[in-house]
Amino acid sequence: MKAKEFNIKWGMVIDLDKCTGCGACMTACQVENNIAPMVDSSNKLRTLSWMLVFEMSNKKPCPDAEIAYLPRPCMQCGNPACVPVCPVVATDKNEEGGIVSQIYPRCIGCRYCMAACPYHARYFNWEDPIFPKGMEKALSPSTSTRPRGVVEKCNFCHTRLQNAKDKVRMEGGNPEALPDGAYMPACSEVCPTGAITFGDLKNPEHKVHELAKSENAFRLLEKLGLAPQVYYMSKREWVRKLGDNYAATGKPGAEKKHS
Amino acid sequence: MGLDRRGFVKFVVGGVAGTLFTPVIWQSLDDVSIWSQNWPWIPRLNKGEVKSTAALSKLCPAGCAVKVKTLGGLPYAAIGNTANPMSKGGVCPVCAGGAQLMYSPARVASPMKKVGEGKFEAIKWEDAEAMLVEKLTAVKGQEGKLAVISGDETGSANDVFSAFAAGMGSTGFYMMPGEMLTATKGVKLMGGNGQPGFDIAGADFVLMIGADALDSWGATVANQKAFAATRPTGGAATAQFVYAGPVLNNTASVSDKWVAVTPTGASAFALGLANLLIAAGAVSSAPDFADYKALAAKFTPEAVEAAAGVKAEVLKDLAAKLKAAKAPLVIAGASFGQGAGAVDFCAAASLNVLLGRVNVTGGMTVLPTAPKALAAAIGRESALDAGSFLSAVATGKATPAVLMVYEANPAFALPQAGEMAKSLGNIAFKVSFSTYMDETAAMADLILPAPHPYERFDDAMNPYGVAKPTYLAGKPVVKKPVADCKDPVDVLLAAAGKLGVSLGFETYADVIKAKASAVGADLDTLTAGGAWTSDGKGGNLSLGAAALAKVAPAAADPKTLAVAPVTRQAFGSGSLATPPANLLIVREDELTGKDLVVRMNAATAKAAGVTQGAKVKLTAGSGELKARISVNEGVAAGTVAVPMGFGRSAWDEFTKGKGDNVYKILTVSDEAGTGLKVWAGSTVTVAKG
Repeated sequence: MKAKEFNIKWGMVIDLDKCTGCGACMTACQVENNIAPMVDSSNKLRTLSWMLVFEMSNKKPCPDAEIAYLPRPCMQCGNPACVPVCPVVATDKNEEGGIVSQIYPRCIGCRYCMAACPYHARYFNWEDPIFPKGMEKALSPSTSTRPRGVVEKCNFCHTRLQNAKDKVRMEGGNPEALPDGAYMPACSEVCPTGAITFGDLKNPEHKVHELAKSENAFRLLEKLGLAPQVYYMSKREWVRKLGDNYAATGKPGAEKKHS
Repeated sequence: MGLDRRGFVKFVVGGVAGTLFTPVIWQSLDDVSIWSQNWPWIPRLNKGEVKSTAALSKLCPAGCAVKVKTLGGLPYAAIGNTANPMSKGGVCPVCAGGAQLMYSPARVASPMKKVGEGKFEAIKWEDAEAMLVEKLTAVKGQEGKLAVISGDETGSANDVFSAFAAGMGSTGFYMMPGEMLTATKGVKLMGGNGQPGFDIAGADFVLMIGADALDSWGATVANQKAFAATRPTGGAATAQFVYAGPVLNNTASVSDKWVAVTPTGASAFALGLANLLIAAGAVSSAPDFADYKALAAKFTPEAVEAAAGVKAEVLKDLAAKLKAAKAPLVIAGASFGQGAGAVDFCAAASLNVLLGRVNVTGGMTVLPTAPKALAAAIGRESALDAGSFLSAVATGKATPAVLMVYEANPAFALPQAGEMAKSLGNIAFKVSFSTYMDETAAMADLILPAPHPYERFDDAMNPYGVAKPTYLAGKPVVKKPVADCKDPVDVLLAAAGKLGVSLGFETYADVIKAKASAVGADLDTLTAGGAWTSDGKGGNLSLGAAALAKVAPAAADPKTLAVAPVTRQAFGSGSLATPPANLLIVREDELTGKDLVVRMNAATAKAAGVTQGAKVKLTAGSGELKARISVNEGVAAGTVAVPMGFGRSAWDEFTKGKGDNVYKILTVSDEAGTGLKVWAGSTVTVAKG
C-alpha cells in the first residue's frame, strides 16, 4: 500500500545518543494530555503511556554491556495499520500534516487498532480517569479526558498545532507554513538534552528535514512498510540494528535495508 | 384503499431508502456514543486565561528554573525557561510534574498535632505557633537541647534556621547527607575552602567517577544542557564522556564508555589513573606532589584490577585519553549522591590538580564562600551531618529535647533507616516543617505545613556542581496556597520575635531581599526567571596526599555482595516520594507490583545462587530488604544494584508500601582519617526468601 502523502508531514527525529532516559518527556506528556495517575502503575497492561521510554541493551555481558533509551510516541505512520481496521472511523489520517487522529467519542473500544499497531502505541482505558481529590484543578486545557472503554494515543499534542496556527494567523502569517519551532509537542519541548527534534519533514527550513536523511537515521520496523513519521538516529550500530529488528532476513540484528 | 404488491414493495424500498438517508438514526447513534461517555464523574476541563509565570521549582535538589503555565490563575503545567542560563529551557522529570504535586494527596492540609500513635488532629495556626513557642521557650539557652535538621542545600532558610539555633544558645544545626557536605570537606583536605564546581560546558573530556551527572547529581538540567551542547544532533561530538561506577545508569547510557568500578573501588581506580598519568609524564606544582607520586605508585594497574574490578587495558586506555585531551575534567562524586567519604572525593578530584585543571575553563573550580543573609548563620563549610547527630542520639551522647526538621526526611533517608527512625523516636518533641506527609512528619508531634514551591518565596545559592557562583530566586505563582500552610521561615521568624531572639527580619521575602543585595543581584530580575552568576574564584588546591595516604584497597568478602543504590531523578529524592505524574517512568525491572526489583549480573547471580524473578532477602546488620532479582549485565561484578526512593511508609496510595527502602541495608562506618560517616561501601548477604 502506498503511504498517504500530504504537503506538510509533522515528524520527529529522536537522537538516541542524547536520550538519558530521564523520563521528563513521559511526565510532560502525561501532564499535557491529562492522564490520571494509577495506583498500580507497575501493571503495564493497564497503564496509559502515550510516550514510553524503553531500555534497550546490546546483550553483552558486563563490563561490555551498553544500554540505550528509546522514547516511543505514536509513529503517525504514513500508512497506518490502525486506520483501515477501525470499524467506526474513529481513527483516521486525513489532515494536512499527517497526524493520525483519534476521536474518543466515536471509539467503540473494540481494540482492533491496538492489535494492528506494531509499535504498541495505542492504549485502552480500562478505568475511568479518576484524579486524586483536587488534582482535577490542574487539568490541562489541551486535551479532553477520556472515559473507560475507549482507545487513546499520542497525537503530537494536536492542540498545540492548532494554537500555533492561530498565533500565526493573528500575526498575519501563513498557518500552513509554520516556522521551525513554532509548533512543538510537550515531550520535545521539555527534553533537557534536546534529544527530540520536531518539525515538518517536508520543509527544508525545518531541521528534521535534513536530519531524517542522515546516514544514522532509521525508523522502527521499516520492513513493515508503515512509513512512520518518527525517525531515530544513533551512531551506535547495535542500536540501529535493534530498531529494524528482524528486517532483512527474519533474524534479529540483521542488516538494515531501507525501503 | 388496499395495499397491492407494488404498493407494498414501494413502501418497503422507500422505507429502507428513507432509513438510509435520514440522519436521525446515525445522529442518534452518534449521540448515544457521546452520551454513553459523558458520565458526571469524568472530570471536565477548566476554562480561563492561559498565562505563564517564571518560578523557581525547588522540587528537585538543585531546583529548576521553570515557567508555570496557569489556567485562570491555577497552575497546570511547567515548561522550561529558555531565558534562564542555568536550565536553558530544560526541565527535570520531577519539576515537569510540579503542578500536579501542588494537589498531591500526600499534602498536609493544615497544622496538626499528634494525639496518639499515628493519629493527628488538625489545629489552628495560632495554637500551633503557640505550642512551638512554648516548647522552644523550655529549651532556650540550653546547649544541646535544640536541634535542627535541614534537607535544603541551597536556600537562605538555612541561614535563618542556623542563626535561630545560635540565638537559642544551640549549635545543633545539621544537614542531610549529600555531595555538598562531603565535597566541601574534601576540598578542605586539599587545602582549599569552599564548595567545588565542575565546568562541564568547557571540557572536551569528562570522566565522571561515581557522579551520576546526567541524571541525578548536581545541577542536573544544567549538566544535561552542557552535555547536549557537545552533541549537536546530526553533527560530530565535541567532547567525550566516560562514566566510571558500579551501575550502567542513565548517565552511563549516553556516555561514550561505561567503566564498571565496584562500589568500594572508586578511590583505587582514581589513584590508578594518577599513577599511569604520572608515569606518562604528568607533573604538578602542588607542594605535596612527591608524596602523591609515591602514594599513587602503589596503585598499579594490577592492584586496581584487584580493588576495583577494572581491567589493566581499560585503565591504560582511559589514562591515555585523559592525557591526550585538551581540556579534561574529572567529576568526583558518590554513585548515589551520598555516602562516600571526603577522601574518596579527594582521590578523584586530585586528578584535576594533577592535570592542571583547577580554576580554569572546563576544569574544576572552587567557589568563593557565599555571603550569608544573617551574620550568625552557619556557613556550608561548617555544616554538621544529620546522620552523625542521630547516631549520637541513639547512643545517648546527644540529648535534644526539641528537634525541628525542615525540608528533610531523616526517618526515611538516612542509612540504617530503622535505627535512625528509632533515634528520632527518642527525641521528646519533634516539629516537621513539611509540605507532604512524609515518614518524618508521620512521627512528628507537631506538623507545620510548608507551601509548595509555587506558593512561596525561596532562593537557591550555588546549587551543588555549578562551576561559577550562581544565585536564583523565585516568588509565588499563585495568590493563595491550596493548603492551610505558612512559610516555615515566616513561622520561625515570628517565633523568634516572641522568644526574644533577634534575627532582624520579619518574613522570608525580606531575608531573600537581603541575600540578593549581599550578593549584588537584582531580585526582580531573579524572580522574573533570571539568574545571577559571577566569575569569582576560590583559591588553589593541593593533591591531598596526606589524606589520601589513608586509602587502602578494600578486601572483598566473597560471602557478601556490595550494595550499589541507584538514584533516578524521576523517582524523587529523600524528601520527596515518587510524584504521581512520574509513576509511569518506573520500569518493571525496578518495581513489580509491590516488589522492589534489584539487579545483578549473570555471573554474580549464579555465584549467589539466585535466578531471574527469584524472591530474595538482602541483609545487613539488623536491616533487611525484600526484593526480586533481575539479571542485568549493567551491574559490576559482586554487586547488587538497588533502586532508591521506594518502600515508603507514609505519603499516599501511589507510593506507600511499594517496594522496599534501600536505606535500611546501608551500614555506616567511619572513614579513616576524617572520621566522617560513610556508607558507600555497604555490603549485604543474599538469601532466598
